Amino acid sequence: MNFNTESPATREELLQCLRRHQSADFRLAAGGTDLLIELKKSGPEDLTLINLGRLEDEEFTGITIHPAEIRIGALVTAARIHKDPYIHEHFPVLHQAARSLASAQIREVATIGGNVCQASPSGDLSCALAALNATCEIIDMDGKIRHETLSGFFRGPGKTSLLKSEVLKGISIPVNQDETLMSGFIKIGKRLAMECSIVSIGYHFQMNATGTVIQAGIAIGAVAPTVVFCTRAAAFVTGKKVNDLTEEEQLQVAGLIRQAASPIDDLRASAWYRSEVLFNSARSIFEKA
Amino acid sequence: MRLRIIWLIQSFKTALIMDKKLKLIGKSTPKLDGSERVSGRAVYGHDIELPNMLHGMILRSRYPSARIKSIDCSEALELDGVECIITANDVDVNRISYKRDHPVLKGETVNCQRDELAAVAATSRETARKALRLIKVDYEVMEGIFDPFEALKEDARQINLYGKGAESFGNKNIAESFTYSHGNLEEQKKNSRVIVSRRYRLPRVTHCCLATSNITADYSVLDGRLTLYASTQVPFLYQRDMAHALKMDPSRIRIIQPTIGGGFGSKLDMYPFEPICALLSMKTGKPVQLLYDREEEFIASPTRQTMVIDLTTGADAEGKFTFREVRIIMDNGAYTSWGATTPFVMMQTYSSLYQVPACHFRADAIYTNNPFAGSFRGYGNPQATFSVERNIDLMAEELGIGKDEIRLINANYPGEITGQGLHFKTCGAKPALMKVLETSDYERKNREKQNGRYRRGVGLASMLHVGGGAKIYRSDGCGTRLKLDHYGYLTIVTGSSEIGQGSETVLAMIASEELGIPLQQIRVINTDTDIKPWDVGVHASRTSFVAGNSLLGAIRLLKDKLNLKAARLMECETGDFLYEAGSIRADQKEIKIDKVVREMHFGSPNELCVAEYFYEPPSSFQDKQYMGDVSGNYAFASQVAEVEVDTYTGKVKVLNVYVSQDVGRVLNPVGLQGQIEGGLAIGIGYALTEEMIYEKGVLQNPSFHEYKLLTPVDMPDIHFYPIETLDEAGPYGSKGAGEAPLIPSAAAIANAVSDALGVEFQSLPLTPENVLRAWSEKRQHEPANSRKV
Repeated sequence: MNFNTESPATREELLQCLRRHQSADFRLAAGGTDLLIELKKSGPEDLTLINLGRLEDEEFTGITIHPAEIRIGALVTAARIHKDPYIHEHFPVLHQAARSLASAQIREVATIGGNVCQASPSGDLSCALAALNATCEIIDMDGKIRHETLSGFFRGPGKTSLLKSEVLKGISIPVNQDETLMSGFIKIGKRLAMECSIVSIGYHFQMNATGTVIQAGIAIGAVAPTVVFCTRAAAFVTGKKVNDLTEEEQLQVAGLIRQAASPIDDLRASAWYRSEVLFNSARSIFEKA
Repeated sequence: MRLRIIWLIQSFKTALIMDKKLKLIGKSTPKLDGSERVSGRAVYGHDIELPNMLHGMILRSRYPSARIKSIDCSEALELDGVECIITANDVDVNRISYKRDHPVLKGETVNCQRDELAAVAATSRETARKALRLIKVDYEVMEGIFDPFEALKEDARQINLYGKGAESFGNKNIAESFTYSHGNLEEQKKNSRVIVSRRYRLPRVTHCCLATSNITADYSVLDGRLTLYASTQVPFLYQRDMAHALKMDPSRIRIIQPTIGGGFGSKLDMYPFEPICALLSMKTGKPVQLLYDREEEFIASPTRQTMVIDLTTGADAEGKFTFREVRIIMDNGAYTSWGATTPFVMMQTYSSLYQVPACHFRADAIYTNNPFAGSFRGYGNPQATFSVERNIDLMAEELGIGKDEIRLINANYPGEITGQGLHFKTCGAKPALMKVLETSDYERKNREKQNGRYRRGVGLASMLHVGGGAKIYRSDGCGTRLKLDHYGYLTIVTGSSEIGQGSETVLAMIASEELGIPLQQIRVINTDTDIKPWDVGVHASRTSFVAGNSLLGAIRLLKDKLNLKAARLMECETGDFLYEAGSIRADQKEIKIDKVVREMHFGSPNELCVAEYFYEPPSSFQDKQYMGDVSGNYAFASQVAEVEVDTYTGKVKVLNVYVSQDVGRVLNPVGLQGQIEGGLAIGIGYALTEEMIYEKGVLQNPSFHEYKLLTPVDMPDIHFYPIETLDEAGPYGSKGAGEAPLIPSAAAIANAVSDALGVEFQSLPLTPENVLRAWSEKRQHEPANSRKV
């Protein structure tokens, strides 16, 4: 493994750095928890690592709360998301996903931007963010900003819409319209820590005073080439009292969630298992405790 | 006859020791090397740096089965910083391994993914790695044989060209074979009310030592001596094996063991990378270090035997066991390691775990193009115990008697001489069973069944293992040298090795107990074959037993000298004085121990305060039929596992494990607790998640990411109850305890999952997917209206 590193300290230095390396081989590195393993395997020669770890720019490194949205900078770590009281209270799905990610050591360095840009179908933060209808904020080397929904951003396993001239700046999540919530993250793996999801489900339902769902988000991970937002299942739940679904309705929504998946056999599990567990876990969301 | 008398005298002496009130033995004592290890001061093999040291790296085969047409190193040799490259053509060595069927470097054929084709020594690891990429190998790829049953077929090709299977065992691909029997099988079959036959399949798992394989070789061209910093657990056998491989005089080879970051049996054999590193040093005249990275560790370090066990067992109408008939096919992999001899231990379980009137056992190790399996803590016993304990549950179900009851009525007992000739002079089998049944509330939990998503179950299993060494080499003994200096500090030079099991601490505790010297004034020297006396090595849970007895023998001799001198100085009759708080006491008189030594050194007649002793256990070699009392004593244990199975995901959560183990006597409670918990971590991983996944001989999951070693948060609550049977053969009555904790775990957990779901399991691991699949199949066969979920 041989590479040069550049560590821009300001946004302008970062954009300059991007412009300078357009014709060369480079990678952006934040926590590096996935990237270093990848580089160790591929053993690259003459690669430049643009290290974002030294960047001092609040828009990349901070969490800010605005009237309509909460903005999480791309360099915010999983540990910080896990510990953030606003996220804990308003977006339990994201809080839980951050807590279930890898190990305490990795959570201290792994970033939300890294998790999203890796575009792993089993990315835990990505799955939770998709359930929250999050939007990516992308800056290009000339400083131009564009926004894209998370579902649009993911293009395949390891593939995003990000161009070589662009970098992910942050993620925005719309604030809750109502604060009666049913929100959580289910992660299925073989062990309780240091685990990569075999199946994951993020769900976030906002309800009005009568318990009727006014806004629903359901996303699934590790069961398709990308994290998938379950549009039909979310629509099915919207307008219903989610705590009072009949058993038939529960099975129906679990079925819709299963239909959104296209799992494969791999080392971790078979397609059969993923499909079964996805259905069972989906159902468990609506079952009375 | 003479041996017998000596043994009686020894027993008498140990009996005396047992009567004494103990001050330190039995009290929790932190490991002496603990602070060094956790603070990073301990020097592991990876920390060694010698002047002008080169870095070695190995080129392994791209294919698990191929003929080598040519190896071209010319381009690699031109790389700046490459000092030496060796292939099979460049070295004059003997084949290694216990069957001598393993070429150090492969020149004709490669037989598994691990096979070593060439090795580089370079000025940096980076350069060595680059050089490996420049070596060109021309292969003629062959179709590999990865299933031992395929390898046994008449038309299968001979996998290991040096195997002696055709002459010795009637099939070219049989590497090793064991047959054992006692009792009248046919008659016992007639006596049986129930006969259960099952086929069990056990997975391939690996040790996952935190420190990866490592060696630093330092050959001196001046005197032709070779110093190896090697993390072996059997330094003297290793020295002999290395000398054989390199065609050297063994005494010119010095083995120094750096701090060892985990052994668990993996370091019982010498592997090709070790003589390879020595050869690189001999060729370059410089020290060479060879370290595995984690991926290489998964690919190229040993594994537990994967095997297929066909077991038939019977019991009569009262539930008394009648017979066991077992046929085992082990996947030996491409070469034969000590691991092929695991049937030696397995047959003890089949013949003697519970009372067994008749037993027939045959196990064959079959060559395949898979990586070779080595030895691993438990040494075949987890596999054997899994099959025996599953069958017992099935027989109890068929007979309609309790799974606890059937085990109690068949339990081993004190004084029993088993069909194989194992003599259980003390036996905590039944007390251990009763203890776990009582503390786990087994009877109630076994009765209660749930219907919802989460279902609980309890499972019971026991085990038998050697507790006083195992006579498999000409000597199962251990030597000790003691030096007490004139400041009252004691140096223990022991033949035994510390691989993390805590034996150093136990030895220092014994010396402190006997000589009244504080622990802080005791040093244990145990890492250098030039200094330490013979010991066969760390295996068979033997170290505290043999090294402890050896130390006690040396202490007796040392005390004889001290008593004589002390009596003269205190002007009293010599006798069995009291050694306490750095002093020797007799009635009203007292003298500091360091003063006694000073008088020995500097007074007339000048003499040293040293002693040495060699202890050989009272065990005997088994005969050709494997009959005989192979160990100084035997360890027994039972475990109850309580699990909760999520029927939505198939995930098994182990809630509690109740462990009761006959350890003879507890020497160091905190050390023993560590062995129990560490053993269970391996046992639970074996039961639930660990598995090396191969596709046509190529490992698919060579990382901790995909090889699912459990983490601390996956561990259940562990409830441990030692049973003290005070066996006279062991130091203070103790027995070996290191391997036992993991041996019955997988069996107990599988029995618990079966209990929870009413589903039978015949293979491991019980991954969520395997459990959910079994559960789904069961539900498909149930009438729809009886479904509760």
